[in-house]
Amino acid sequence: MGKRDQTNNDMLKGTLDMMVLRTLILGDAHGHTIAKVIERSSDDLLEVEEGSLYPALHRLEERGWVTSYWGVSEANRKARFYRLAPAGKKQLRSEVGRWRQMAKAIDLVMGDLLKEGGEV
Amino acid sequence: MSWRGLLRRRYWDNERAQEMEAHLAHEIEDNLGRGMSEEEARRRAYVKFGNPQKVRERIWQMNSFGWLETVLRDVRHSARSLRHNPAYTLLAIATLGLGIGANTAIFTVINGVLLRPLPYAEQDRVVHIDQVEKRTGSEPLGFSVQEFFDYRGQSRSFEQFSEYHSMLFTLLGTKNPERVVTGVVSANFFDVLGVKPVLGRLFVASDDSKDAPPVLVLSYAYWMKEFGGDRNVVGRVFQMNDRAHTVIGVLPPLPDYPDANEVYMPVSSCPFRMEPMMITNRDMRMVTGYARLKPGVTMQQASTELNAIRGRMVAAFPKSYAGWTGYSATLTPAKEELTHAARPTLLALLAASGLVLLLACANLANLALSRQIRRSKEVAIRMATGASAWRVVQQLTTEAAIVAVAGACVGLAITSVSIKLLVAYAARLTPLAQGVRLDGWVLLFGLGSSLVAGVLFATLPGLLAFRTRLTALQEAGDRAAGSERGSRIRTLLVMAQVAFSFVLLAAAGLMLHTVYNLLSVDPGFKLSHVLSMQINLNWTRYKDEGTLTNFYQQLLSRTDVLPGVQAASISWKPPLDPSGQGMTGHVLVDGQIASPTTPGVTVNYEVISPDYFRVLGVPVMAGRGFTDADTSKSQSVVLVSETMARHFWPGQSPIGHRLRSVNSKNWLTVIGIVGDVRQFGLDRAPDNLAYVPLNQSLIQNATLMVSTRGNPLAMTSQVEAIIHQIDPQQPVTQVRTLDQLRSQQLGTPRVTATLLGLFAAVALFITIVGISGTLALSVARRSKEIGIRMALGATRTHILSDVLRKGMGPVLAGMALGAAGALLATRGMAQLIFGLKPNDPPTFAEIGLLFFVAALVSCLVAGRRAMSVDPLVTLRTE
Repeated sequence: MGKRDQTNNDMLKGTLDMMVLRTLILGDAHGHTIAKVIERSSDDLLEVEEGSLYPALHRLEERGWVTSYWGVSEANRKARFYRLAPAGKKQLRSEVGRWRQMAKAIDLVMGDLLKEGGEV
Repeated sequence: MSWRGLLRRRYWDNERAQEMEAHLAHEIEDNLGRGMSEEEARRRAYVKFGNPQKVRERIWQMNSFGWLETVLRDVRHSARSLRHNPAYTLLAIATLGLGIGANTAIFTVINGVLLRPLPYAEQDRVVHIDQVEKRTGSEPLGFSVQEFFDYRGQSRSFEQFSEYHSMLFTLLGTKNPERVVTGVVSANFFDVLGVKPVLGRLFVASDDSKDAPPVLVLSYAYWMKEFGGDRNVVGRVFQMNDRAHTVIGVLPPLPDYPDANEVYMPVSSCPFRMEPMMITNRDMRMVTGYARLKPGVTMQQASTELNAIRGRMVAAFPKSYAGWTGYSATLTPAKEELTHAARPTLLALLAASGLVLLLACANLANLALSRQIRRSKEVAIRMATGASAWRVVQQLTTEAAIVAVAGACVGLAITSVSIKLLVAYAARLTPLAQGVRLDGWVLLFGLGSSLVAGVLFATLPGLLAFRTRLTALQEAGDRAAGSERGSRIRTLLVMAQVAFSFVLLAAAGLMLHTVYNLLSVDPGFKLSHVLSMQINLNWTRYKDEGTLTNFYQQLLSRTDVLPGVQAASISWKPPLDPSGQGMTGHVLVDGQIASPTTPGVTVNYEVISPDYFRVLGVPVMAGRGFTDADTSKSQSVVLVSETMARHFWPGQSPIGHRLRSVNSKNWLTVIGIVGDVRQFGLDRAPDNLAYVPLNQSLIQNATLMVSTRGNPLAMTSQVEAIIHQIDPQQPVTQVRTLDQLRSQQLGTPRVTATLLGLFAAVALFITIVGISGTLALSVARRSKEIGIRMALGATRTHILSDVLRKGMGPVLAGMALGAAGALLATRGMAQLIFGLKPNDPPTFAEIGLLFFVAALVSCLVAGRRAMSVDPLVTLRTE
């Protein structure tokens, strides 16, 4: 289980659900794609641990935020596809709101230090 | 985690496993696309994914309740281990089941009688008010109407205050003319009780006025019995006391309190209560009072107020209360009146069944302890391989809980089987017995007590056995370490068992002796071959002396000549009547100056026809009995019992002396002495009894007694035929033999003795099992030691006496403890026993002997096994 960056990883735990939901806005996807999309779009800064991804997907499905079905992947293989449910969309909206607030708060506290090139 | 998830977790596990496989396949494909070798691609994919098995486990756990998993596993494991040890399991379940069964059965009765609230609104405020005059007797006096008016008019403590009495009237208009028990009450009586009708309405104030049309309220039981619950009964009209009475309502089911009344009528309808004499004469007492306390008023305050009113009455009417120094008004909560007869018996039985349960627990602890000792190795291994102490305790508790639940089931089964008998038994003690049934509380009690008892007593020894955990592994064979501590606890448990069961056996012994004493007590009259039946004449038809005398004379002369009849008599009540009361009154003796503070002495009257003593075989000791010549025209005469003769005329003959009732001017001349009888109860010393002739004191409610040559009940129809020849409308009730009346008297102590005996037998059985089990285990564990000792020259006698000493030691100590405990405990039984003291030495000696022999036999069995130890065999196995 690669741990590229410890800090990164901790942050991931709290936000994995949000990012999975975000990914599904683009369209239905199976687990492998979801993990790849998150990694790619973070410029490979984030690595999704499959050990967390599948329990997370299970949790999301149990809460009714996503639904799933068996389908055929682009690689012509059997795969389980996830689709964003209306409740999941709502959840994503509220998570984004929460995240935005937190980011703003952190921004205010850290001030210039967070700007590119800010020195301690 | 959710129940849905729990139920579908196998499905999800399968789904996710496939999904992850697909993920890996994709990853491998990607890796191949990056130009890796097949093997490398696969390796990389797996390295990146981690362990799919672990992910599956995580998801599996997400779908489960963690604790439930553990519990289920424990239950499965426990059930398996219990199945492998059926002897322990069955014995433990049986022991606990017996203890729980006994307790739950008694609790069911206590719950129904003592704990469940009465069907009255705010039952604690319902009280019975009466008066006593302690100098002359403890029986309640009742009120005269004038007294009742004083108490009701002047008191401020009560929200409602109602008068009450109960009489027999003939009700005409149903299939047959019927004698009905009639409660005669103020209109607000049902407000006192706080009950609402199930049909129609109850009395209102206007029903109580003098010219109101007569109305009736039916009791629920009578409505069901006589009218089959017909709702059209309201509005029906019945003739009673020559007047038309209209039914206005039906009561809900209520206990038979104050009496087993079948119908109720307002005071204004009762011809006796409305006689001008009865209303105006302060000394004629025929009613009693029921009241509802105002909220916030205490019993003490109400009682103080009532007695202040009584004081004012005494001051205002000194003639009526001359010398009444022990005079007071009494206040008793309805609940207490309904339960006081049952309370001591039920509590004694609860204590007994509690002891049985304690014993069962001790036995359970003993069983569990020996099982634990045998299993200490298993536990030690489990702990050495990583089980936490807590997990092991959990496991043991689960096992105990399974035994406890099974025990509760056995116990509840015993309860439900015995409930019918118990209701019949409790009905002798209280009208509330109808309310005894299995309900949620009983189930809760059974299960709860079983769980507490079972878990506590099956786990504690396990905890103690724990201290041995690691050393157990080093020990070889049966000689598990810690057994020393274990066997000391076992010895103590055996001692406790012996002590508890000794107490129970002593109590049962006392009760058995009581029944025997009651059976062998001489009542003073003959019991066999006497038939008794109640004839309550309709007073409107038999108003005057002539018709009454005529009826009785015809009845007696026709019955006398029936073949098979020896003699027939009329009296007020038969001896041993279940009501347990006669007609009482205060008498003055001519020539003896009544003490200035005493208005007279209470005696019991019996009104009899001349052949009464012949029917009962009571000897006339001096003077003469009554004859047909004693009539209303001749001198007023009286016969006295030996006890009464001794009381009033010690050392001299009473014949020729005169006495009179305090309320009467008419002197009665004593013409003879008759033998003492236990008229009101086999357990009651003979009372002062005065007999007056029927013709000089006519009664409308009478008992016909017939002494027969053959089976008395066989004569019933012939005697009834005679009664109906004389008056076709005359009901006959309470047809019984004197033997039946005696059995009825003996019923309560008999059942108490049976129950206690049963408990004691269970206790003895459990204890003997405990003693022999403990001893057998100790012999088995010491077989090597015994073998060595025998090899070194100990004789079999030595070995036997050693085993006996070890076995009987705790038994004797337990017996001593038990005897001391029994001396204390049986004091509470003083009210229940007859003819012996609670510390009756013969009973204690018998029980001691019984115990000693039983214990000795069980020790000898173990001793025999010890003697048969072959030193060669045991030494070889070492």
